[in-house]
Amino acid sequence: MQKYEKLEKIGEGTYGTVFKAKNKETHEIVALKRVRLDDDDEGVPSSALREICLLKELKHKNIVRLYDVLHSEKKLTLVFEHCDQDLKKYFDSLNGEIDLDVVKSFMYQLLRGLAFCHSHNVLHRDLKPQNLLINKNGELKLADFGLARAFGIPVKCYSAEVVTLWYRPPDVLFGAKLYTTSIDMWSAGCIFAELANSGRPLFPGSDVDDQLKRIFKMLGTPNEESWPGVTQLPDYKPLPIYQPSLGLAQVVPRLSQRGRDLLSKLLACNPALRMPADETMAHAYFHDLNPSVKNDRC
Amino acid sequence: MAPTRLASKPIGVNENLNGLLGHGITTRSKQLASLKSHKDNLKMPNKRKADSPLKDVMAKRAAFGDITNAFNKSSAPQDKDKVMVLKKVTVETKMLPTVKSIKPQTVVNGKTTKTKTLQRVATNAIESVQKHFAKDPPKPVATRAQNGILKNGDRKDKLKDQNQSQHSFKSARSDVSGEPSLYTISEKLDKVNLDESANRSLDDEKEPPHKAPPGITDFDLENWNDPFQVSHYAMDIFNYLKGREGITQWMRALLVDWMVEVQESFELNHETLYLAVKLVDLFLARSTRKLTIEQQLTKEELQLLGAAALFIASKFDERIPPLIDDFLYICDGAYTLSQLLKMEMNILRVVDFDLGVPLSYRFLRRYARCARVSMPTLTLARFVLEQCLLEYELLHYSDSKMAAAALLLALRMKSLGTWTPTLQYYTDILPIAIAQNAILHKKPKSAISTVRNKYSHTIFFEVAKVPLVENMALSS
Repeated sequence: MQKYEKLEKIGEGTYGTVFKAKNKETHEIVALKRVRLDDDDEGVPSSALREICLLKELKHKNIVRLYDVLHSEKKLTLVFEHCDQDLKKYFDSLNGEIDLDVVKSFMYQLLRGLAFCHSHNVLHRDLKPQNLLINKNGELKLADFGLARAFGIPVKCYSAEVVTLWYRPPDVLFGAKLYTTSIDMWSAGCIFAELANSGRPLFPGSDVDDQLKRIFKMLGTPNEESWPGVTQLPDYKPLPIYQPSLGLAQVVPRLSQRGRDLLSKLLACNPALRMPADETMAHAYFHDLNPSVKNDRC
Repeated sequence: MAPTRLASKPIGVNENLNGLLGHGITTRSKQLASLKSHKDNLKMPNKRKADSPLKDVMAKRAAFGDITNAFNKSSAPQDKDKVMVLKKVTVETKMLPTVKSIKPQTVVNGKTTKTKTLQRVATNAIESVQKHFAKDPPKPVATRAQNGILKNGDRKDKLKDQNQSQHSFKSARSDVSGEPSLYTISEKLDKVNLDESANRSLDDEKEPPHKAPPGITDFDLENWNDPFQVSHYAMDIFNYLKGREGITQWMRALLVDWMVEVQESFELNHETLYLAVKLVDLFLARSTRKLTIEQQLTKEELQLLGAAALFIASKFDERIPPLIDDFLYICDGAYTLSQLLKMEMNILRVVDFDLGVPLSYRFLRRYARCARVSMPTLTLARFVLEQCLLEYELLHYSDSKMAAAALLLALRMKSLGTWTPTLQYYTDILPIAIAQNAILHKKPKSAISTVRNKYSHTIFFEVAKVPLVENMALSS
């Protein structure tokens, strides 16, 4: 630990405290995530185990880089690249409306990072503004893989207790344990709308029922016709029949027609109809994306 | 339901100590004598035969978790008396750790009892090998002679009673007598020795023990008449000493066999098993480079390595991984919590936290689906892969090719014609399929029979009983 000088506490991750620190030799600023290993515990927490292992494989410009893992008797320290702030704080610091070019750039980078995860058989499972890191030069990176996991083909049953409520898709809200990459695409849709509305959350539900109602009020209550199998989901319950009331034009008034089309393809209640990440990157919405963002390969 | 350390630990620790202490003093011949008389006294029925087929299937079904519920209902009545017996046998059933708590009571009892028996046998297997290699050096010659004598008389009995050891142990546990695990350990130990010596001794009867291959000067033959060179035993002794040098292929096979048992008992995903075996091999291969001498593995810690690898793999892949206490428990209290935690960290350090390694099991599923083969054929291919998991000599083949070769072999064994064009791409796998076929043709060894037993059950379509094919038929 002598290699790094702790500067300040940044926050609490899924399973440990995060510090800003400086490499004493290179003076590089890093983020240290500390995982305590208690003797009466279950060893290395599975969330840390997965985050380390997955991030070691996921080396991409839009995914936070794990530089190193330091281990001592009593703790593990994950050394991450340091980013200036997360998307949540970025929203808070906005004065007025967000620049729509920034929305497009952030969204594209989010989807590119996500496509990389999914093509490397990794589900993030906890996408939300707090877990998207932003750099001064406008780079966006996926972070906090504490809930992420590698998936096999075909996927097996995984935990239904994933994704922060506001960003949780309707299938998981209905208790689905069999889900796949589409779980992250719903969250991406929610974040897209939040970006376009300068940081106003799309579905700020108070509990699972409220969350479902908010979703269905906007998109219409699904039935066996629009979503075959929905009534068979473990926690399915009949909810009031809402007709799709609001057009997306009212939901995200500042977003272009193309942007709304992309949003509608992400916010599909039926997971089978949600557009995969790699396809979204080719969507017409991104045709006029700043080439410097698009060509910025890792 | 949740196991507490207090409840599970002392059971294992004490008895293990008993076993170890007793074992250190008793000579092998004494053990053999006592073992034999015990065996005669305990004419317990063979476990697998005695239990209803349903009982077995119940335990095995677990591997296919998604269809368990329907089955439990239909089999519950037949299973009742079995459960009663099991309850009587292990008094401490309630204190046993159960991995998953939402289970009908019958299954829980059945399972934990099985776990207990299995883990004991498994622990014994490892211990016996450790002992065989580590603690008997002074009298290799005598040992060998004893085995030779024993072989003729007891071999048939031994084969017949292969599984009896499990049962006799279980009943012994219910006795309140002081040293229940004593003879079980020795039984396993002798079984291993007999297995090993069987082939060698057969050769002894026909010709001189060892012959150098053509073109090699047979030093022992040259010195045959010099009694001080002990030529008759020289090769045996040095082979034996070589075996003591490190972790041998046989010890690795025993370990993997035990890991398959743990996978079954804990109802772990097969991916977890395959990943854990990978971790064991990566550790053994890399630890010499990455760890100091003190950190490197001794033979006594081999099972600790296997348990820690399963522990890590479970946390990586399982939705509800077993608790650390469960892993300490299946090692029969041979290791402490801090030993397991230390080993966990050692493995992670040596493999550099890289747990996303390719697994033959995943490739196989993919290929089988693409080739649209039936479930029994896929299961047969899985049996091939799992049997080969025990084989050190196949380790250097890539996982994707092992999977493809296993599928090819399974297709041929089922006479399902030639390689489908969909998988034509993998034409360079025939040699691997032939190597795998050779593994299947190996004489079954009782000490490492878990995979074969597992795949002999109806839930796995009894694929272990599919007739073998000759290599000629493979390459044609």
